[in-house]
Amino acid sequence: MDLNLRDCHTGTPDYDQILELATSHHAFPSVPVSSSRARLVNQTNGEIVVVPLPRQLLLNPQEETHTTTTSSSSCLCPPPVTPPSPSDTLRMPVVASSSSSSRASHSDIQRSSTPHFSTSLKKEESDSIKIPVVAATTIPRPDGTFVPLGPGDNVGSSSSGMSTVSTALSSPAVTATNSTKVLNNGAAVLKHSREATPSREGTPLLHTSCATTPTTAILVVTPFLVKHIGDQTQIPKDNFHEYCYRHNPDITCNKLVDEQKLKELQHQLEKLPSRDQEAISHVWSIFSAAPRQHRTLILQGLLTQCCFPQLLFISQEVSVLIRIDFISILPVEIALKILCYLDCRSLCMAAQVSKKWKSLADDDRVWHHMCEQHIDRKCPNCGWGLPLMHMKRNRDVTTLEPKKRAASDVGESSRPRIEELDQDLPNIKRVKLDAEATVVAPTAAVVRRKRPWKEVYSERFMLEKNWRKGFFKVRMFRGHSDGVTCLQFNRKYLVTGSYDTSIKIWRVDTGECIRTLTGHTKGVRSLAFDSQKLITGGLDLTIKVWNYHTGQCISTYRGHDDAVVSVDFHNKTIVSGSADKTVKVWHVDSRTCYTLRGHLDWVNCVKIHPPSSTVFLASDDTTIRMWDLKSNRCLRVFGGMDKEGHIGQVQCVIPFTYKDEMIEDHNDSDSESASNTAESNAFERAEDNVNHINHNNNNNGNMHGNNRDDARQNVTNLGEESTTSEENTSSEDVNQCELSLDVQYPTHLLTCSLDNTIKLWDVRTGRCIRTQFGHIEGVWSISADTFRIISGAHDRLIKVWDLQDGKCLHTFSNDSSISCVGLSDSRFAAGLENGDVKMYCFDEEC
Amino acid sequence: MNGERFPVEPKVAEKSVLIKNMIRDLNPDGLQEDFEIPTPNVRANVMNKVLEWCTHHKDTAFSEDDDDDARRASPVDEWDKNFLKVDQEMLYEIITAANYLNIRPLLDSGCKVVAEMIRNKSPVELRRVFNIVNDFTPEEELALKKENEWAEDR
Repeated sequence: MDLNLRDCHTGTPDYDQILELATSHHAFPSVPVSSSRARLVNQTNGEIVVVPLPRQLLLNPQEETHTTTTSSSSCLCPPPVTPPSPSDTLRMPVVASSSSSSRASHSDIQRSSTPHFSTSLKKEESDSIKIPVVAATTIPRPDGTFVPLGPGDNVGSSSSGMSTVSTALSSPAVTATNSTKVLNNGAAVLKHSREATPSREGTPLLHTSCATTPTTAILVVTPFLVKHIGDQTQIPKDNFHEYCYRHNPDITCNKLVDEQKLKELQHQLEKLPSRDQEAISHVWSIFSAAPRQHRTLILQGLLTQCCFPQLLFISQEVSVLIRIDFISILPVEIALKILCYLDCRSLCMAAQVSKKWKSLADDDRVWHHMCEQHIDRKCPNCGWGLPLMHMKRNRDVTTLEPKKRAASDVGESSRPRIEELDQDLPNIKRVKLDAEATVVAPTAAVVRRKRPWKEVYSERFMLEKNWRKGFFKVRMFRGHSDGVTCLQFNRKYLVTGSYDTSIKIWRVDTGECIRTLTGHTKGVRSLAFDSQKLITGGLDLTIKVWNYHTGQCISTYRGHDDAVVSVDFHNKTIVSGSADKTVKVWHVDSRTCYTLRGHLDWVNCVKIHPPSSTVFLASDDTTIRMWDLKSNRCLRVFGGMDKEGHIGQVQCVIPFTYKDEMIEDHNDSDSESASNTAESNAFERAEDNVNHINHNNNNNGNMHGNNRDDARQNVTNLGEESTTSEENTSSEDVNQCELSLDVQYPTHLLTCSLDNTIKLWDVRTGRCIRTQFGHIEGVWSISADTFRIISGAHDRLIKVWDLQDGKCLHTFSNDSSISCVGLSDSRFAAGLENGDVKMYCFDEEC
Repeated sequence: MNGERFPVEPKVAEKSVLIKNMIRDLNPDGLQEDFEIPTPNVRANVMNKVLEWCTHHKDTAFSEDDDDDARRASPVDEWDKNFLKVDQEMLYEIITAANYLNIRPLLDSGCKVVAEMIRNKSPVELRRVFNIVNDFTPEEELALKKENEWAEDR
């Protein structure tokens, strides 16, 4: 505004002078006049009056230097003279923030125009058709504040008396035609009629309130306005093409800025004497009425007059004005597409920019996309992944749909998390779709609250932040009198087994022990539970099935010759691993039991991978084996001595599917070791078969000592097992065979060992692809989900690792060594050798 | 729309799926002779720019699949980045033209460039960059700040 005001100051005396001469209405301070610059022409009473221009008004020394420069270079285009306006209220150019169409304003034009005006319209109409219409984009616009006079404005103002703005173009007007040609060198130039924007009621108008003589300027200004407003009869067909960003009536987002600016200008203007106000407003009016060629000329003239600080001002102002609010003006789908490229922090900041931005940056589509990008997967762009938190969802769902509960409850247990995710994912998708469907068809009986996806995202984001920053609360579960050996938990219950022979059921929320199951005669070494049953394996050689809601032991399975140190189950199949080096697969429905042999030492861990019907075994013999439960064949052997495998007893194995890229250890002798592994696998497999057959006989003998149930099962086993071994012997080359692509085998394994390491394996190749170091004593237990690995070791440390890159994120120390760990989305639990169980909760306010 | 004509190779023009389909639909036997395609929604200067892009990328193989992830993750092509160093109105026009002509890789690049202009900027900075007026009341502003606090400081 400064510039304009300054300009006004320098220019004002001119107008005043002129007005004084012309009307003798007002007394103005006399100003020195320089006759050398007497170029301004005023048409008063139909006569051309040459008005001597005053020398610049000396405001201060600095100003003088400016003006001196100006005058030396500004001979081309002296400031226009504006005679008084005929009406009391002089309407000023207004930036229309209107959405009124140009058509409407056109009709306004017609209505309000004088007969004189309309006659000229016709002529101009035909004239203007000849004018090549070029795009409106790059025309140099005035600072934007005043110019954006709409056609409606022009007309509106002219009809309300504004039509008296005089064209003070005299000598420059001659050059105008020539120079515009140069200026408009085919580039997009705004056709006059489109430069202007329609006005609208309610738009702030700049107006001066000085009383003026209506007659003086009419004859001067009217011709100019009438001539040029005539162009406006050409109505744009299509706003996209005909308007520039600023003046497209369809684009309203930028009008607000101009509106503010106009208010500011009005304010500034009102501080000036009324004469000055009027004079300045005339300058603006003339500019706004001028056709594009003239505008360019006027601007050029103004620019040549500007001193450097003023040019800087223009440059600053323009740099702001040529900015485009992409998000608001682009089609919604593109704006959303842009927003989808952003991260959550940027989106949240974008939501605070303006109402329009908020509506788009908070849009459910954007956040649904964000959720898809991040939930249950590591986003390739930002490296963040957010937990499913399906436990929580299940809770919400179950309260409303109790009947569906059983199905979803299976997914609640925390222990086999990673395997289950595979199965759960489609489920999740379905639930998501359901959630959306509810909105579309609210006829559904169940009223499920549909949460905004942003809320869904933020909830998970905050949890993940806690995980990353290590903000948690610890809950203690005390009650076991001897070391805790195994644990598993879900949202509601924590189940722990101990050397004290008992199993305890705890409430997760309160930490209270609600039930103690007794029945094992020796320590409990292993457990697994779902929503209905709990299965435990003990040092007393038995496997027990419990209804943990009542505390009743439903059945006991005997058959192992030594301690049962691992159990797992899926549906009606129980798998148990024992210190007797065998694994038994108990098919409860058909009451059959298969014995899998091959390990040379204790089988510390068994894990069923239901999608592929395979079972993974980890043994003290340092190897991990993968068996097909359908054919009872060993499909893979992982590791072993001298085979880049574990060099200590393997304590735990977790099969899982990971579709994105894992960070692997860099291995120089990749190809070499690969062939080694393949060979070794073949070797191992051959051994398996031998063992299998040998032990088969022994086993049958031993079995007779067991209870009747088991004996019966063994009878059935006999035939089955012999066929199995036959198959194996007949297909030795299968050892190296590719795993069938039709079966959803897990892609990776995680194992931990008393050699202090955690290893990651590629199931397809059978190779160890990553080794994680950090524990300084044997790792007893690990648990993992899509993002993390938790490990508990004899060194009393619990470590949290990033699953994808294998980096250690946190280390928590304890006062006793850790024998078992469990993990969920928001918590992990560790069973200690001293009998305590600690649960680290990341989902609570810390 | 400016009545200008832009003679181009079919290969270049077919970067636009719209034009590609148009050619295919109207010339089922293949292109025999010159074929004029009106593009009423694109200004000449923008068309020029878009064709410059198409010409540069005429031999670039863009992934056809809808694997949105891969496209999202890839940074803006260096040439595209320079190509899109234009004033904001031109960028706006290029994006709308790419959208209209259905030139997905160009649309992607344009959108990514705009996204980069937004990324990691405070609301105040964003208003400045895009010349936007804050139309929230101070109370609303405060509430919004609180509402969006969770994403800060990760």
